[in-house]
Amino acid sequence: MNGFELSKVMGVVQRFRGANNEGVLAIILLALIVGMSIANPAFFTLTTFFAIVRSSIVSLIFALGVLIVIISGGIDVSFATIAIFAAYSTVRLSQSADFDPGLIGMLAIALAIGGLLGLVNGAVIARFRLPTLIVTLGTQGIFKGILLTYIGSQYIADLPASLAAVSTMNVFQITTDTGRASLHIMVIPAVLLCLLVAWVLRNTMFGRGIYAIGGDPEAARRAGFRVMRTQMWIYVIVGMMAAAAGIIYMIMGRSANPRDLVGGELDIIAAVVLGGASIFGGRGSVLGTTLGVLLVQVINNSLILAGVPSAWQRTAVGLLLIVGVGVQALAAKRSSREIRALVKEEVPA
Amino acid sequence: MNSKPTSGSTLTRFNDQVQDRTSAVISRIHVSHGAGRMVLLVLIAFTFFTALNPSVFLSLLNLQNIALASPEIGIIALAMMLAMLTGGIDLSLVSIANLSAIAMSTLYATVAADNPAMAEELMPVLILVGIAVGLVGGLINGFLISYVGITPILATLGTMQIYNGIAIAWTGGRTLYGSPESLTVIGQATVAGIPVLFVMFVLVAIAIGVVINKTPVGLKIQLQGANPIAARYSGINSHVVLMSTYVVAGLLGGLGGVFFLARNPTASADYGASYVLLVIVIAVLGGTNPNGGFATVSGVVLATLTLQIVSSGFTAIRLSSSEYAIAQGVILIVVMVADQVTWRRRRRRAPTRARVLASRT
Repeated sequence: MNGFELSKVMGVVQRFRGANNEGVLAIILLALIVGMSIANPAFFTLTTFFAIVRSSIVSLIFALGVLIVIISGGIDVSFATIAIFAAYSTVRLSQSADFDPGLIGMLAIALAIGGLLGLVNGAVIARFRLPTLIVTLGTQGIFKGILLTYIGSQYIADLPASLAAVSTMNVFQITTDTGRASLHIMVIPAVLLCLLVAWVLRNTMFGRGIYAIGGDPEAARRAGFRVMRTQMWIYVIVGMMAAAAGIIYMIMGRSANPRDLVGGELDIIAAVVLGGASIFGGRGSVLGTTLGVLLVQVINNSLILAGVPSAWQRTAVGLLLIVGVGVQALAAKRSSREIRALVKEEVPA
Repeated sequence: MNSKPTSGSTLTRFNDQVQDRTSAVISRIHVSHGAGRMVLLVLIAFTFFTALNPSVFLSLLNLQNIALASPEIGIIALAMMLAMLTGGIDLSLVSIANLSAIAMSTLYATVAADNPAMAEELMPVLILVGIAVGLVGGLINGFLISYVGITPILATLGTMQIYNGIAIAWTGGRTLYGSPESLTVIGQATVAGIPVLFVMFVLVAIAIGVVINKTPVGLKIQLQGANPIAARYSGINSHVVLMSTYVVAGLLGGLGGVFFLARNPTASADYGASYVLLVIVIAVLGGTNPNGGFATVSGVVLATLTLQIVSSGFTAIRLSSSEYAIAQGVILIVVMVADQVTWRRRRRRAPTRARVLASRT
């Protein structure tokens, strides 16, 4: 093979690998699915596939929000609290006032609440330039406290009619010999949101601004991006996305529990980081994040099928995170050493 | 200060004077940043709750409870402070503490099943086991952060999941019962009305303070946090510094587990789940700069006390734990914002002062 062909092949390989190792992730995911299917034929069924998709929906929407924050160089641990706050308050409001504005109306109320809570995060972070992790840890405590003290701490077993009606809706349903496989309708908003976020991140000034701020806030400011305003909007949007995820979670769970969701934040962050987003900001993609979320779900699912007690799931995700990030860190170290070696070669001391 | 310097020597003297005063002012700001402000906050919190409900809040039992609940949180907060001092964070500390308590409790229960008397005698060994668990946890964190090069927040996020997962799988999600009688006795003993655990906590805090402020290792840790690149060019081996920091943090986490078990003879995987947030609040409130380079032990100890006073004060005036969560969050954000505002004002003032001096000379 001559040099030209080699470089062409390398180019294809590079393109397949993707900017954030999406290709590598896809191969791992594929290998896992093939391996599991061989080991346990029960895995390779439409039922399992739909179950994995179903369990990924809420995580995926959360992960999209986390992705935006991480690209901008921040980290948000309050999104789960915002989700449950917005969704539970909406259900509670509709229940106590005994009015049902329909699915769209409910969603609008939840989005408004979520956006408002996100604005609190954004205002504190952008105005005072405080560490995002610590601010969102603080607001997480505040939101959770307000929810449980002033809004309600009781489990609501029956959702308002408009939400309950969607609970059992499926995109389609097939009866196979292994059981009934159904794809929940809420997969549609999740997919739409993925496409929307991907489009915004790639093709709009706002999206490019998020990458720019994550890369270097000062450079972004000098390039003409309004850092403060963009940051504020990031957290408002993430709050709204969290609220949507909260509503979808309640629709799929057919109940409203103010103590749900909170505590799983770090799993989502782990999935996003696995999906190739850099914790320092400036890098990350929707495709990678989707693959990261699916990978975590598939691993959880295959552990159960492989007979590993579900108690080990946490450890598995933790190990996956360490291995994934560790490999990236070692690769970064090696490339920086190579650059240094190159510099030394060119400029003999 | 107003007299215009005329000759060269007076100018030098004047400059020295200004230099001295400026550094004095700066050092005073630094002190008040951590400990001074915290003394004030402790007093405010104490007076506030005393005024609201003196009969309950000022009772000896309540004060002892404050002193009894503080050590386990405070010791983990000190570990968090160390990690933050290097510009990192350690999210796995509470998981380490739980794992250590679970290991101790399991070992005790296993031995006690055959020979209760021997299990009782094992107490010192058990404590060593608990600390050893912390040591191993810290070693893993330190290895991942310093040699593999993973960002502290991600490395400890991962190990937190791993340690917590091991604890869940180990206990099967149940609460374990059992710890040596003598450990419980220590946990409840008091010296002159002060719980022994609290005395031990203060001793550990003093030891950490000495290490940070008086030893070369402590100086290296501070420099590493203040400016990693400058630290490297000063010949500081960042691998060793980070490694030792996270090992010590892990040790303190393990000790936290010993305190858990001494206070309460049970161990479970999800004990103190809210502590992760709480210890970060304490560390930051105590004047630790989350970006590294600055922290005071006394500030962290006083911040621990403040939050315990607020916590028990909330109980005394019958507020719920959710309301305490609100208070924690508000305190954290208000303190951070206040710090940021004063820091900005100081920075804005600094160049004007330089200009004034320049125009005078």
